[in-house]
Amino acid sequence: MTTNSTSTPLILAIDTSCDDTSAAVTAGVTVLSNIIASQTQLHQPYGGVFPTVAKQAHRENIDRTIAVALQRAGLEWSEVAALAVTQGPGLAPALEVGINKAKELAKLHQLPLIAVNHIEAHALSALAEPRRRQQQTATTPHHLATSWQQKLTQQQLPALAIVVSGGHTEFIKVIKPGKYERLGWTIDDAAGEALDKVGRMLDLGYPAGPVLEKFAKSGDAHRFNVPLPMTEQKDYQMSFSGLKTWARNTLESHEAKFGLNQQDIYDFAASFQRGVFRHICYKLNKLIADQKPTDQFREVWLGGGVAANMELRRMIRETLRTANGGLKLHVPYTKRLTMDNAAMIGVTAGYQFLQKDFVTDEAALERRPRWAVTA
Amino acid sequence: MQGIIPDVKVIKLAEVPAEKAIAEAIKVLTEGGLIIFPTETVYGAGVDATQTAAVAKLLAYKTRREGKPLSIAVTGQEMAAKYVDLNEQAKKLYQRFLPGPVTVVSQGKGKVAAGVQSEFGTLGVRVPDYELALKLIEQYGRPLTATSANASGRKRPYSINDILTGISAKQKSLIDLVLDAGELPKNEPSTVIDTTLSTPTTLRAGSVQLSAGEEATTTLNSASEAETKKIAGTLLLKNWTEIKERGLVIGLDGALGTGKTIFAKGVAEFLQITDEITSPTYSYIEEYQFKRHGVTGQLYHLDLWKIESAAEAERLEIEGLLRPNSVVIIEWWQPVAAYLLKLVATQHPQLLHVLFTELDEHSRQLSITEPSTNIPTPAP
Repeated sequence: MTTNSTSTPLILAIDTSCDDTSAAVTAGVTVLSNIIASQTQLHQPYGGVFPTVAKQAHRENIDRTIAVALQRAGLEWSEVAALAVTQGPGLAPALEVGINKAKELAKLHQLPLIAVNHIEAHALSALAEPRRRQQQTATTPHHLATSWQQKLTQQQLPALAIVVSGGHTEFIKVIKPGKYERLGWTIDDAAGEALDKVGRMLDLGYPAGPVLEKFAKSGDAHRFNVPLPMTEQKDYQMSFSGLKTWARNTLESHEAKFGLNQQDIYDFAASFQRGVFRHICYKLNKLIADQKPTDQFREVWLGGGVAANMELRRMIRETLRTANGGLKLHVPYTKRLTMDNAAMIGVTAGYQFLQKDFVTDEAALERRPRWAVTA
Repeated sequence: MQGIIPDVKVIKLAEVPAEKAIAEAIKVLTEGGLIIFPTETVYGAGVDATQTAAVAKLLAYKTRREGKPLSIAVTGQEMAAKYVDLNEQAKKLYQRFLPGPVTVVSQGKGKVAAGVQSEFGTLGVRVPDYELALKLIEQYGRPLTATSANASGRKRPYSINDILTGISAKQKSLIDLVLDAGELPKNEPSTVIDTTLSTPTTLRAGSVQLSAGEEATTTLNSASEAETKKIAGTLLLKNWTEIKERGLVIGLDGALGTGKTIFAKGVAEFLQITDEITSPTYSYIEEYQFKRHGVTGQLYHLDLWKIESAAEAERLEIEGLLRPNSVVIIEWWQPVAAYLLKLVATQHPQLLHVLFTELDEHSRQLSITEPSTNIPTPAP
């Protein structure tokens, strides 16, 4: 069945920005499938090579990932209205694999191509919706989708998007989709990186962030006095490398004096995690307090890998409750959308489709490893 | 016999002496059977992890595993060492957390049946903090699989009823023996900690061997971040001609949080880059344009913290970055130094190495060398 003017266009999206290969099918803000290539999903032997670094693994995975995404969505190529691909930011050789594949498929199937910013996609990921159950009457999947026009009648703008991941920590004002203002970001490490690295100092493997979250539940978050960085600066910039250095010094001296037992590790995990999130919430609070009442954010959207952390959500909600008479926090409906995934790329591309924001010269489309979200 | 579902054999641990229950379980396990047994977290489904047919039976019971690896239950570190390679990180975890609700993933030794280790050869090991389970494994002498007893995707099994109501008749028929300890306390499933990606926290003392030859080391002390940045700028100025003619590579080493990224910021400031220099740990490479004194070029900031081998490093295509008007900063140089030195030897950029050592909370020692790239060729 071909897409007609009354239905929401179906988009096949690809993301190869870093370690994971992902493909998805979306319609408006509705996710029809979202495949992230990992050993459990594709069951592909890598010949003993751990797929940490991406390019070769992306090449091995990409066709299969796309095929599974279409299959899970129950679609044929003839029903797809456009292709979307992450152009940046990300690792250059990895981005290249996705871009080349998207170009190839756009040409093969004669489809328009949409280039998407990965961070913008994280910022909008809280708006994505799950596929609704098929109705009794026979309809095609795109009739069950929520279009961007519908979605935007439900959201109140401007919104503040907070992206917290292993590689990014940013405050982005969303005036409307496609129109952004970057208000604050980390000047060194990202929050997720600080959690992983300090987890590593506690010998909690890699990635240690999720282990830290679990262990924090058994710990006393007030046992260790984690400093609050950047309080002198009046802006909304964040910095996590000082926290990392503090953690190393504190752990070394604690271990030398008393050793490091199970409860110490639980307490340190809880204290450090709280310290990282407190820094984000301190700047968030300041940011909201400084807005002119006429420009005030109407809602807050959270995205990125660390958005899956329940303690971060709780602390942000706490901050929003007391700030400016209460703002609602929207989070991605599934953990999958917090990872590097193609569904958020497809959802973002859905809006660009409406704006006819297509790549005009496909051959000339190049990766943009450093591409900040801008207006 | 068609249509007849065999009753599952259940031993109620409250009514039967532990020794008798264990003896029964050992009999079942020896014959390749499947038992349901209690642990400090949830009920586990156990078979002899070294018997291929038994593991196949377990996989049939679990259904929809989609290639997820199983883990094994052992009595302690000594027994674990027979089945996995324990690195320093794993040993610390065993000492601190086991027995207890933590599964430590290590590189497997291939001593368990096919399908137990992951396809990357890793294996999760658990030491249940539950006396009966430990005694059983100790007396049996071989590891059991340690997967939760629910069918994949079903409710966490805290009672035998949780298990039996959620499975099909066919699955039920695969269970040979249930050790019923009644309702277990609702503890969370074990936390999985993967120690196989050996991201470093620091370099072992004396492990920095940059090249075959002896070269002069300049040692500078920096009392502040500003001073570290200034040292970085000075180094670039001294090598400005080399940057234009051959490009410059700077390898950085030092523990987490000793100021490697601050140094990179100093390089960027000298190159008059206005973009924020943020950590490339997750993206591996960050790229910036610079323009200084009429020279236009690129700064590449690399972080190899997550890189374990030359084969992985190769995928970053670093050789393409080494060229005139290019400055390449590589954090965590030492772990793949041999590979990087080879690249430098063929592309001939200028090479510097800086080792960061902490003196106190704010001051650092920077040991700067110009490593020789004359790699000795191995004897024929």
